[in-house]
Amino acid sequence: MKSTKTDIVVIGSGPGGHAAAFYAADRGKKVIMVEKDDVLGGVCLNVGCIPSKAYLHAAKLIQEAQESDFRGISFNKAKLDLNKMRAWKNSVVGKLTGGIATLAKSRGVEVMYGRGYFEDSKTLRVETKQGQKFVTYDKAIIATGSHPAMPPAFDLGNKRIMTSTEALEVEEVPKNLLVVGGGYIGMELSTVYATLGSSIVLVEALDQILTGADPDLIRPVIKKAEKAFKEIRLKAKVLKMATYKKQIRVQMEYNGKEMEELYDRVLVSVGRVPNSSDLGLENTRVQKDEKGFVRVNDKLQTDDPMIYAIGDIAGGVLLAHKASKEARIAVDAILGENVTKKEIIVPAVVFTDPEVAWAGLTEGEAKQRGIKVEISKFPWSASGRAVTFDRTDGLTKLVVEPETERLLGVGMVGAHAGELIAEGVVAIEMGATVRDLAETIHAHPTLSETVMEAAHAFYGDATNLYTPKKRH
Amino acid sequence: MDVRLPRLGEGADSGTVSTIFVKEGDTVKKDQSVLELESEKAVASIPSPVSGTISKIYVKDGDEIKVGTLIFSVAEGEASQSRDVQLNVPAHESTEPESPAEEPVAVAEESVPAMMPMMMEEPVKSASGFPPPASPSIRKMARDIGLDLSRIRGSGNGGRIVLTDVRAYIQRLQTLGTQPKAAAPAATTPKPAPVSIDFSKWGSVEKKKMTQLRKAISNKMTESWTSIPHITQFDNVDITDVLALRKKFQKAYERKKANLTLTPFIMKAVVETLKKHPIFNASMDEATEQIVYKNYYNLGIAVDTEQGLIVPVIRDVDKKSMLELSIELQDIAERTRQRKVSLEEMQGGTFTISNQGGIGGAHFTPIINKPEVAILGVGRGSLQAVVKDKKIQQRMIVPLGLSYDHRVIDGANAARFITDFVQAMQDFSEKQVKI
Repeated sequence: MKSTKTDIVVIGSGPGGHAAAFYAADRGKKVIMVEKDDVLGGVCLNVGCIPSKAYLHAAKLIQEAQESDFRGISFNKAKLDLNKMRAWKNSVVGKLTGGIATLAKSRGVEVMYGRGYFEDSKTLRVETKQGQKFVTYDKAIIATGSHPAMPPAFDLGNKRIMTSTEALEVEEVPKNLLVVGGGYIGMELSTVYATLGSSIVLVEALDQILTGADPDLIRPVIKKAEKAFKEIRLKAKVLKMATYKKQIRVQMEYNGKEMEELYDRVLVSVGRVPNSSDLGLENTRVQKDEKGFVRVNDKLQTDDPMIYAIGDIAGGVLLAHKASKEARIAVDAILGENVTKKEIIVPAVVFTDPEVAWAGLTEGEAKQRGIKVEISKFPWSASGRAVTFDRTDGLTKLVVEPETERLLGVGMVGAHAGELIAEGVVAIEMGATVRDLAETIHAHPTLSETVMEAAHAFYGDATNLYTPKKRH
Repeated sequence: MDVRLPRLGEGADSGTVSTIFVKEGDTVKKDQSVLELESEKAVASIPSPVSGTISKIYVKDGDEIKVGTLIFSVAEGEASQSRDVQLNVPAHESTEPESPAEEPVAVAEESVPAMMPMMMEEPVKSASGFPPPASPSIRKMARDIGLDLSRIRGSGNGGRIVLTDVRAYIQRLQTLGTQPKAAAPAATTPKPAPVSIDFSKWGSVEKKKMTQLRKAISNKMTESWTSIPHITQFDNVDITDVLALRKKFQKAYERKKANLTLTPFIMKAVVETLKKHPIFNASMDEATEQIVYKNYYNLGIAVDTEQGLIVPVIRDVDKKSMLELSIELQDIAERTRQRKVSLEEMQGGTFTISNQGGIGGAHFTPIINKPEVAILGVGRGSLQAVVKDKKIQQRMIVPLGLSYDHRVIDGANAARFITDFVQAMQDFSEKQVKI
């Protein structure tokens, strides 16, 4: 058996995998990156963050055009060419995945296409199209990510029942679309399909959509969605699905009643499952938890000292940027540096309309953990910039440690909140205080001023918001 | 700017903070009183040298402070940047005329010892339980060199730790390390981060988190063992007669719902011996370099619980009867095993007894329960052939190990102590046991 020897093998080429491979190569290691698909980039680039953002951009164009009558601008109804739109989406994805291949090549990272399978703690078998290859390594980094969950009860083998992967192909715009699951994936794709013309019914088993976010940050999203969707059903449970002619017959329980309805398509977005089976992990000392996530320590090392795991497969929040950060921590740990994933601030961004973003401690979490905090809010109705483009449905809020005025968390909802949250992340990571934010000039007229004004509001002296005097 | 306690007058170089008139965030005028200091001679008021906002107060009511101690920071007018006038900062960063760059060492030596205990004693935890505010690069540096950031007072807004704070802290540590007098605070020097060994490389392992109690025991034992030069004096005691007494009165005790064990005998004999050798009932005050003799006899009793060793204290053993001691022992041992014993009940001991007789083993060398200076370890008794009154007799012999602090107790003291203790046990008077 001939085998290739390398310093580090990375399994997976998504935001975790390629970040790890490139960083390790930049730090002088010989790296092999293994990818089971024919293209690099993983879920995020191919069937996740990137294509969904492309479609959301398209949806935004349509929507803004439709809503511009009162500004004295009228358009005809948008005409959709789904094939052309898909081709455009694919070109966006292609630019980025191609970019990864180029970057890998210029760094000397060898890419092996094929499924990776651990023979033991030191050997990876790769099933390439040219046959089996064996890689022996000093350290392996598992970055195989996750895939959409599809409960067996819904899995009829009918293409009208989609996960996010199929939904992002937008084969057609179904007249009636049922979306099961009101997490960020369900909400983002509902926004796309609603704008393209689908009538959406969204069901969520819990009593809130987008769990994890503070209720006041979700309110504008719900308000907008209630208009854009046919219906949002909370505390609703889908019991059964069956194929009925060219439709799907869905039985669900809602408001204490059982109902049966027909939908043209169904999107199931009820969570994600780690890709941890079929990796040969049983041939190593790697341990998984009951949900199948690989168990790691603060340095992302698994129970097998030779093997690290990062990103979705290592559990926690399933976000691309968390994977990319963990990639660097794992490589640093392998290089012998004293690193830890503790204390990292992982921002969350939901690309709904309007966008929701938060970082650090949320108000809800503070309450739950009994941490005494002070909250300062600035509504976007008082933001000049938000008024100029008629999106005053926003809110910026700060979560503050009262004794020191240190910033513990930032939350926002509103257009471009996903871009604005960056300031909050830096401020929290830097240990900044509200005073620091208040003293820093924020350019006018921009939405970033809402951060500064929220800081001023903490002291009761925001220029564009009258609040009863608090302190000075 | 940071304000340190100035020299107040002849002989008045320290005092107790009696009243603080301001709180953090208050604005003050130049020469406005910030706090009052009580010294032996007078009450002095400490004014703010400038107008501005009090950004940080480093002392609290009742604190004992010396000349040079950092007492508060005041942000002058608009400028909120904190400047530390007496710190040994590199010349190019020092903007204060009061800090002459050509003699930084002298400045540091004068100010450092006074502020050391206050700056480093306790790690500070924020109210919300988050780690101290510092940028990612500072946190990384601290991890790399094994610094505990919670021990560093940040000079930035909200106590944020910046590079100059870390630098000043390390310089303080270094100054301290090179000063022979600073032996005691050196114990708080942060240790390098421990390295984790991967034992699973050699076979299967099971990991369990250390309990709080186990961590407490670990710290306490390391503290005692590394700071006290231990010597252990061995001997044996013949308890045949004590056992006879016990047998004789056991029933009577049982009628009073008490269980007469060997321990109250040992306690009484220990107290009798302590009275003859008060140094064994003393403590060493390292800060003031005094030996503190105690006129009370509170004995710590080592109790083996499921979670680990706990040492509750029985107070005023000299004033209690054997019956009272028996009842109290039973009660406190039971509550200790159930972990229902309070913190106060574990403090204030003057001498500790560790009796392993019930378990087994012979001589052992117990570790002193600091700040006490001695501990008696009692092993398991065994029947031995002993020459007594010119005849070979069968006697019950118990092995003893007396560990003592050789800083305050000499070998001869220990030999005398243990001899007297053996005597006290062997001549135990029936009167003491009788109810």
